[in-house]
Amino acid sequence: MMASSGTAERQVRISRIAGRYLVFDIDDVAYIRRHHGICAVFTGTMPQNPTQNVFLGLPVELYAEEAKLLVDKKAGYIADDLADHLSQLKALDPAARAAYFQSLKTQRRNAQLVIDEDKAKSLARHMERRKAATVQPDTRPSEVAAEAPAIAEGDSLFDAPPTKRVSPPVAVAKDQTSLALTPTTSSTLIVPQPTSSAAIEVPSSYPLYAYLNQRGYFITPGLRFGGDYSVYPGDPFRYHAHYLANSYEWDTEIPMLDIVTSGRLGTAVKKSYLLGGQAPEQDPVVGSEKTSGEVRVFCIEWAGM
Amino acid sequence: MSSDQQPLEALAQIVLNNLENQHDWTETKVHSQANLPRQLIYGLPPNRLYVHPDEQIEIIKAEKDLEKPILQVPEFEWVLPLHLAEKWSLAEFAAVFDAIDAVPPPAQDPASESGSAADVAGEQQQQQKLWKVPKRGKRLLLATVQNDSTVTYYWMHDGLVKPRQN
Repeated sequence: MMASSGTAERQVRISRIAGRYLVFDIDDVAYIRRHHGICAVFTGTMPQNPTQNVFLGLPVELYAEEAKLLVDKKAGYIADDLADHLSQLKALDPAARAAYFQSLKTQRRNAQLVIDEDKAKSLARHMERRKAATVQPDTRPSEVAAEAPAIAEGDSLFDAPPTKRVSPPVAVAKDQTSLALTPTTSSTLIVPQPTSSAAIEVPSSYPLYAYLNQRGYFITPGLRFGGDYSVYPGDPFRYHAHYLANSYEWDTEIPMLDIVTSGRLGTAVKKSYLLGGQAPEQDPVVGSEKTSGEVRVFCIEWAGM
Repeated sequence: MSSDQQPLEALAQIVLNNLENQHDWTETKVHSQANLPRQLIYGLPPNRLYVHPDEQIEIIKAEKDLEKPILQVPEFEWVLPLHLAEKWSLAEFAAVFDAIDAVPPPAQDPASESGSAADVAGEQQQQQKLWKVPKRGKRLLLATVQNDSTVTYYWMHDGLVKPRQN
């Protein structure tokens, strides 16, 4: 279908976190929507307003089916952050560990140097200004107190902080170079690696999903209409859903009442109720138990009589 | 007639009665076939029952050009009698669809195709014919019978068929 453009080599990073498949990169999200017909579900809310749940943002959560489809099409890979984290951090050899700790110390020292320099500069500036301020009014004698002028004189209250606070850190920092920074992330230590070999457990409705996706349909969760999927003939921004889809095993007995009620519901919302599933393979090849028979779908509408 | 076929016979009879007497179908017939799990019914409804949304668009366009409504001729339809308490699998539905032709037997021989749409311009008639045979997908009416002998009808299409815009 659409996936034959120049961006075919793009690899979408799908993070598997606590059994969920998440995409964090907005370019990836646009890419899978445009080229693979996967719109998935935005799940991210705002940290400042976690109860906001209408206009959600990144990350996007994929169905296991969608993740598998992308991996099967070689358009994406699964990044298992937890496993990566543990294995890659454990794999560090002592020399690399020592180098890492040293780099943390250097970072800290460099940061301290920058801060010290800044402080020295601002101190010098303040001293200069205060000297000028105390000289002009001539209310006090030549002796410049450490903090008295700043408090006594209204106009210099805001731009001249008490010097008492400035001086001690300079002295302390000099002896504390042995301390290191404690980073809050291990991301600098981890090289993201595709672990798409990890099997993706998909529900039994995967064949139906793949069948519909292959025909250019967009699929969103179907719970609001009581089905497995809502199926759109194009991007859901532009179209209403055509079908409420339910997937069944080939020999699962479907109560007629379910068909009738779903058919009624579908017609009430101007949709067709679709039931489908994969037929078992006609003549199974010896040794392989894989079922890759054709997918059959049936569409049900109220007949209006 | 074997005894296990009797309930199905009765079911088909209920649906047949309902079609003829409540919905005014004509030329109804019970259809038996070796590879069918049960008897089907086919018949001619008084009005055209199903218009594919794409065909409907074509009709509207043609009517606009002709500046008069195009007469819709009823088509023969398949009916599958079912009881509401039954359970059917995809395999069984697939078996029914595999066994039938898209068009029920009486409509297949051109003799029964009366040219009642003769007033339609030639080209439009051709277009309409296209929808009657080659473009017509397999479809059947699920006639679900309830214990109080209410029968409700649902279209079931083979394959992806988009919903009608009511």
